[in-house]
Amino acid sequence: MPALMMQPDLSNLVVSGPVRNAARTAWQQHGWPGPRVESWRFTKLDRLGARDITPASSLSPTTAGDGLAMAQGMGAHAIRIINGIIDPASLEALPTGLTAGNLHDDQDAQDAMMALAPPDHPISNLSMAVMSGGLVLDVAGEVPKSLALIFEGDDASLSAHPVVLIRLAPAARMVMAEWHQSAVGLSAPLIGLDLAKKASLDFVKIQTEDSATSHLSATGVLLAEKARLAGFSLSVGGEMARLETHVTMAGEGADCQLSAIYLGRGRQHHDITTVLNHDIGHCTSDQVIRGVLDDRARGVYQGKVRVAKDAQKTDGQQMSRALLLSRKAEVDAKPELEIYADDVVCAHGATVGELDATQLFYLTSRGIPEANARAMLIEAFLIDAIDSVEIDSLSKILLNVATQWMAQTGLTSHGD
Amino acid sequence: MTALLEVRNLYASVGDKPILKGINLSLNAGEVHAIMGPNGSGKSTMSYVLAGRDGYEITGGDVLINGDSVLELSPDERARAGMFLAFQYPVELPGVGGMSFLRAAVNARRLEAGENEVDQLAFVKMVRAKAGELGISDDMLKRAVNVGFSGGEKKRYEILQMALLEPSIGILDETDSGLDVDALKIVSDGVNMLRAPERTMLVITHYQRLLNHIVPDHVHILADGKIRKSGGKELALEVEESGYAGIDDAA
Repeated sequence: MPALMMQPDLSNLVVSGPVRNAARTAWQQHGWPGPRVESWRFTKLDRLGARDITPASSLSPTTAGDGLAMAQGMGAHAIRIINGIIDPASLEALPTGLTAGNLHDDQDAQDAMMALAPPDHPISNLSMAVMSGGLVLDVAGEVPKSLALIFEGDDASLSAHPVVLIRLAPAARMVMAEWHQSAVGLSAPLIGLDLAKKASLDFVKIQTEDSATSHLSATGVLLAEKARLAGFSLSVGGEMARLETHVTMAGEGADCQLSAIYLGRGRQHHDITTVLNHDIGHCTSDQVIRGVLDDRARGVYQGKVRVAKDAQKTDGQQMSRALLLSRKAEVDAKPELEIYADDVVCAHGATVGELDATQLFYLTSRGIPEANARAMLIEAFLIDAIDSVEIDSLSKILLNVATQWMAQTGLTSHGD
Repeated sequence: MTALLEVRNLYASVGDKPILKGINLSLNAGEVHAIMGPNGSGKSTMSYVLAGRDGYEITGGDVLINGDSVLELSPDERARAGMFLAFQYPVELPGVGGMSFLRAAVNARRLEAGENEVDQLAFVKMVRAKAGELGISDDMLKRAVNVGFSGGEKKRYEILQMALLEPSIGILDETDSGLDVDALKIVSDGVNMLRAPERTMLVITHYQRLLNHIVPDHVHILADGKIRKSGGKELALEVEESGYAGIDDAA
């Protein structure tokens, strides 16, 4: 166990099956990463060290929040995960093409989940071991309805450890939204997305957790030949939030779009971390990252694109831009390329800037109040990223949440 | 009679460098004034200072709209008080849709006047009508503000904004720069259409040619931060013939 940091002890936790026992053993050995672990250099977990791991023991009803309204608005089937426990009622009457299973009883699925899970990530071990709720969703054909996974919860003394494995059969297609809006102390979802040949998934992850919640999500993705993932994360809530996604492209012609926006204020900390493994040639990946930080908020983008030796004809792009609205806001951007092949097109970049004073003057000289003018420029800064989302219902959600965030600081792009 | 716009012994500096050194101007409703001056005379500084841009220190004097000082007002407050600046270099706003920009500006003005926001359909109609007169296509209106516009298109778009906002004081900063003869004609016609008994305009230019199209009631020669000479429209022709050097000597 690493020194200098308190670690929650799981030795008394009742865990069944070899996969979860192995995860517990790994957790007991490694625990939370300390400040000297390179990939956690910018996001310190000290505050979690003293926190006991306290999963909910039973399902308790909560009042539905924005997530459910959003799901209804887009005509999606909503699966509710409350304080980390899957609500079985929401697994009834699933849309055609969706089959739900219990991950607790399924050793093979647990094995598959661990193979997908970001390696060396604390949540991969912790949430697999604790597994407050476990769900396997098998997807076949073109799912006629969107799926919404709504992670709720109202008890700050709890930590939520839901594990969800979603497997898309060859040529399956689905549109999905994850909405994290709980007020638990620690929200630690572990998600696996396994896309078989020619499967296609459009998804957004919206993080609007309570202002006292720590959100640490770990998502693992596997893309087979010609599989397509168009993913977008929007991180707005939480005291501290890290959204980490690892993607492995294992079949030729796979395409991965993995973009993100983080919006921070107060003393919020947002971390977007991605690892994209181009294990095989002729795959494309594209990451567009936008951050807006006010007050003393801090943003982190760590994006690694790894191109294996034989992964020729890889196209890997990543571009991070951050907008600082306050002199005390801070951003760390670390786009990284690790290329072992010689015939690739890869590019990365990172910029940090402020609102343009000339643009602001132009708008205000037309009579537009400064707060509105600022909101218009912030929205303009985000809009090309949001516009890249092809599914209208998903891009609308992103724009709504971003607009709400601006309205909370008195920034509104409309004169009312 | 209170002047619509009065500039009273105005001094302004950038950093430690004095640029405006005691400007006096009085613009009454219905009048068009031209300010001519060589490069570096302080023309653009004056337009920015009047509009309230940051970065200029007012070291003396005053600017009044209808007799009230506006020096303490922010640019948006001055605009809503009736001032409009057509930029020499209109600013590109990638990601800001043209129609929502125009609507935000018009609604800000209307709210200030205690009127309702303009409804979207009526607004589109109004913009199309005025845009048509200025040769601005629907395609241009749909684009982000000034993005991908040619020099002439940008200037026409400035005049369109002025037509929509109906300011009582229009300041045109080198509106002729970068325009060919045809574009100059379109822009000038647009400005002339906006001449009205309740409005005043301040046309800032380096060259006399713009004043063949927008014929001013008064011409002022600005040099080294001061109005050196004032007169009627014939003063512009004098400059055309003898250059600014002659005027300077006469001051």
